[in-house]
Amino acid sequence: MTAAPEPGTVTAEMPGRAPARAAAPADLREQPPVGVRLEGLTRRYGGVLALDGFDLDIAGGEFLALLGPSGCGKTTALRAIAGFEVPDAGRVWFDRRDVTAVPPSRRDVGMVFQAYSLFPNMTVAENVAYGLRVRRRDKAERAGRAAELLELVGLADRGQRYPHQLSGGQQQRVALARALAVAPQVLLLDEPLSALDAQVRLQLRDEIRRIQLELGITTVFVTHDQAEALSVADRVGVMRAGRLEQVASPDDLYERPATAFVAGFVGTMNRIPAVLGDGDVEFLGVRREVLGAAPAAGPAFALVRPESLEVEADPRGAGRVVTRTFSGAVTRLTVALPDGVEVQADVPSAGSQGLTPGTAVTVTPAERPALVEPAEVTP
Amino acid sequence: MSATTTGLSTAAVAGAAGVEPETPARPARRGRGWWRWAVAAVLGLYFLVPLAASVWFTVRSRDGVSADVYAGIPTAEGFAENFGRSLALGALTVLLSLLLMVPTVVLVELRLPRLRPLVELLTLVPLLLPPIALVVGVRSVLAWAPEYFFGTPLAEAFFALQEPALPWILVLVYVVLALPFVYRALDAGVRGAQLRTLTEAARVLGASWPRVMLTVVLPVLRTSVLNAAFLTLALVLGEFTVANILGFETFPTWIVRISGSQPRLSVAVSVLSLLLTWALLLLISALDRRRREEDPA
Amino acid sequence: MEPGDLRLSTATATAAPASRRGRRRGGLLPALGLLPFLLYVAVFLLLPVGVLAVEAFRAVDPVTFEESWSTANIGTVTGGAYARSYVGSLQLSAITAVLGAVLGLALAFAVVGSRRGRRLRRLVLTASGVLANFGGIPLAFAFIATIGNAGVVTALLTDTLGLGGFSLYSMAGLVVVYLYFLIPLMVLTIIPAVEALRPQWREASDVLGAGGWQYWRYVGGPVLAPPVLGATMLLFASSFAAYATARALVGSSLPLVTLQIADSLSSNVIVGAENLGKALALGMVVLVGLVMVFYTWVQRRTSRWLS
Repeated sequence: MTAAPEPGTVTAEMPGRAPARAAAPADLREQPPVGVRLEGLTRRYGGVLALDGFDLDIAGGEFLALLGPSGCGKTTALRAIAGFEVPDAGRVWFDRRDVTAVPPSRRDVGMVFQAYSLFPNMTVAENVAYGLRVRRRDKAERAGRAAELLELVGLADRGQRYPHQLSGGQQQRVALARALAVAPQVLLLDEPLSALDAQVRLQLRDEIRRIQLELGITTVFVTHDQAEALSVADRVGVMRAGRLEQVASPDDLYERPATAFVAGFVGTMNRIPAVLGDGDVEFLGVRREVLGAAPAAGPAFALVRPESLEVEADPRGAGRVVTRTFSGAVTRLTVALPDGVEVQADVPSAGSQGLTPGTAVTVTPAERPALVEPAEVTP
Repeated sequence: MSATTTGLSTAAVAGAAGVEPETPARPARRGRGWWRWAVAAVLGLYFLVPLAASVWFTVRSRDGVSADVYAGIPTAEGFAENFGRSLALGALTVLLSLLLMVPTVVLVELRLPRLRPLVELLTLVPLLLPPIALVVGVRSVLAWAPEYFFGTPLAEAFFALQEPALPWILVLVYVVLALPFVYRALDAGVRGAQLRTLTEAARVLGASWPRVMLTVVLPVLRTSVLNAAFLTLALVLGEFTVANILGFETFPTWIVRISGSQPRLSVAVSVLSLLLTWALLLLISALDRRRREEDPA
Repeated sequence: MEPGDLRLSTATATAAPASRRGRRRGGLLPALGLLPFLLYVAVFLLLPVGVLAVEAFRAVDPVTFEESWSTANIGTVTGGAYARSYVGSLQLSAITAVLGAVLGLALAFAVVGSRRGRRLRRLVLTASGVLANFGGIPLAFAFIATIGNAGVVTALLTDTLGLGGFSLYSMAGLVVVYLYFLIPLMVLTIIPAVEALRPQWREASDVLGAGGWQYWRYVGGPVLAPPVLGATMLLFASSFAAYATARALVGSSLPLVTLQIADSLSSNVIVGAENLGKALALGMVVLVGLVMVFYTWVQRRTSRWLS
């Protein structure tokens, strides 16, 4: 999977439904955004460190995605913000309020779970109004707020249904509406899309972002899907073994990964054998500048994105096209190079019809500085 | 309090020790485990005291403790005969139940899903219908033989069913009583195994229906067949109402008959049969678990 | 279905998409396969109950020994000692069903909540299986040995503490013994429902600001209500039908309808007592039926969200 925008984005959720959605209720929009600060969070389960001195600053109104492989501690971090996890060490701050010891019910956060979190015995509208019900608001206010929020998530006509009568995507919309109904200070999303079909996932992802921007609510989104994280978040935090590897904007993360782990985890990255020279690096028969601080001279790997490789048919070329995968505007080629190296290259579909499997080709890196990883530190 | 009860209550607490609710996986709620302890301790006591007291009742004697009663069970008058009869009835009931219900359950799952509610309803009836009402009805039907059919082959058949040495009529009624358990055990197995996909695969590969039943369905269902068989056997070994009302002697009615003259023997047999059944069920559940771990299909 | 239809249905089946074929073709032959089951149930379940319903209305004239249609049996069993035995059975069943349901639910929660105790869980479940299904006679004798007249605990209490007064051979005694198989029955029946309560519901409720009480009031309680009701109903039927335990414990000295039935069947003194037994048994079936109707009505109100 790549971080490039998905081709052929689907706009209408279902036939006959207008994509236009109502604006968010005014009181939700006027909430001053609250910043979240995690300080040295440590959480140990038996012998496993789920969080290992975890630090993170989330600005008010920011949409931050926590990305990482399963078991990296991202969900534990989210649950620590919600209050379900009491850290062994460290603090959780909402602006200047220390909430480390505050139970979930008093933290004023909204949370959307992976799936099946709607109360099955209540209608959709009752689910959305639950937070107000336990706050003992009167019936009229509850009904009004439920209607507003269902309008916001595009399910105004489903209020009287029961959860099991809705599709998975609709259930998650309701869960979002329910979380927002109490005007929380922070919105927490725990892999809310991972149980959905690919197409529904894309729509709901964009919708979550639209609503978040409209409300300006501080949001933390946990996911293991890097395309999801890069496409919606203001900043993405990549986690590994209970620690943050890098927090950066999606562009920075993609173009300037701080570590080999981030480079490998975010987007597709070719690792091409290279030789480090004095300030430059040589690979695939050409020299390129080194991006960032250059390691000591010697054998290394150049890290190159598929779209930064150019492929040309060349009867005397050393490469052979192995597979060719058409995906709209670009076509992904797998090219076998001498010495058993295989690279992935994205070329414009127009004019690449000739590059069928078996074609002899030359592969040239684009004219730009390259990221380098010393050969000794192979992960 | 004497040494006996102290021993009993520690046994109860030891039995409840595993109830410790706090786990590393879900630590958020603290200090709420006490009621689990209380429930487990009180109910543990309630369930263990009668068992322990029964054992004590059977082994104590004027000169101390002895297991004579237990040693005497195999040779006790009527034990072998009645226990043997109950076992035979149990085996026949298991066989007949499976013969009747395995094809029915498989058929409903694969070919007649629309009839599932009907089958479910019919198999639920014996669970709610008092067995004593059923057996009064059965008695009335059996009474037709001398009243209306006397001298006909039908009457002969009715009488043959009531042979005291091996009363087949009990088997026939027990199959009805076991229906709810057998159906549910088999149905759970069928649903868990995605039988439809498996049999379709076998059919596509050219297997005939009888072959599919033998080589695909039965092996897949063996755990639930075992479960159903065991539940049925336990039910027959413990059944008193039907045998008593129809006037046959089986293992349970024998226990009641001897209880007046040999109270210690009746208690000893009771406790032993409870514990043995439990041990057997534990064994089956352990085997089942091991099989599932080996073959996580 | 007429034989002629068979060709028609096969024809449509070939035209139908492959995925539907299995179902569409299932006309005559598979339905025949269900015949053994249906016949068996008809002969050994429905026929006896039907006979009960008919013969309960037959009476024997004590002088001429002639049988005739009559509602005399029904009149007899709805009054006097027989009516008292129905009331006794209903009271005992109601009390034991409610107590068994409450205690069994508590035990189920205790067992499910202990995540570390897989072994405990298996121990409790298998023991419940044995006690709930096999119970009867062995239980009665275990209790006789414990708190019967010569019971171990009875002796302990009277000798050391000077306590007395509780009799196993009474209604209260039956409650204690019945719970010994009803609590396990509740545990077996309700554990799947307790395990189906998703932790996300509790967490979603927490995060939305609800306390524990509010969670149980609005979510946990209503979700558990239908299965708990169903299980209580099962306990009631089980307790109402119980005969072995009562018979072994109290003989026929307590007003319970199952004991009355057995009595009337074994009586050679009263003419037509056999038919009286049938009327009594029919009464049991009718009462269980009424309870079922009531249960279905309540169930429909508590589980609108399920349909």
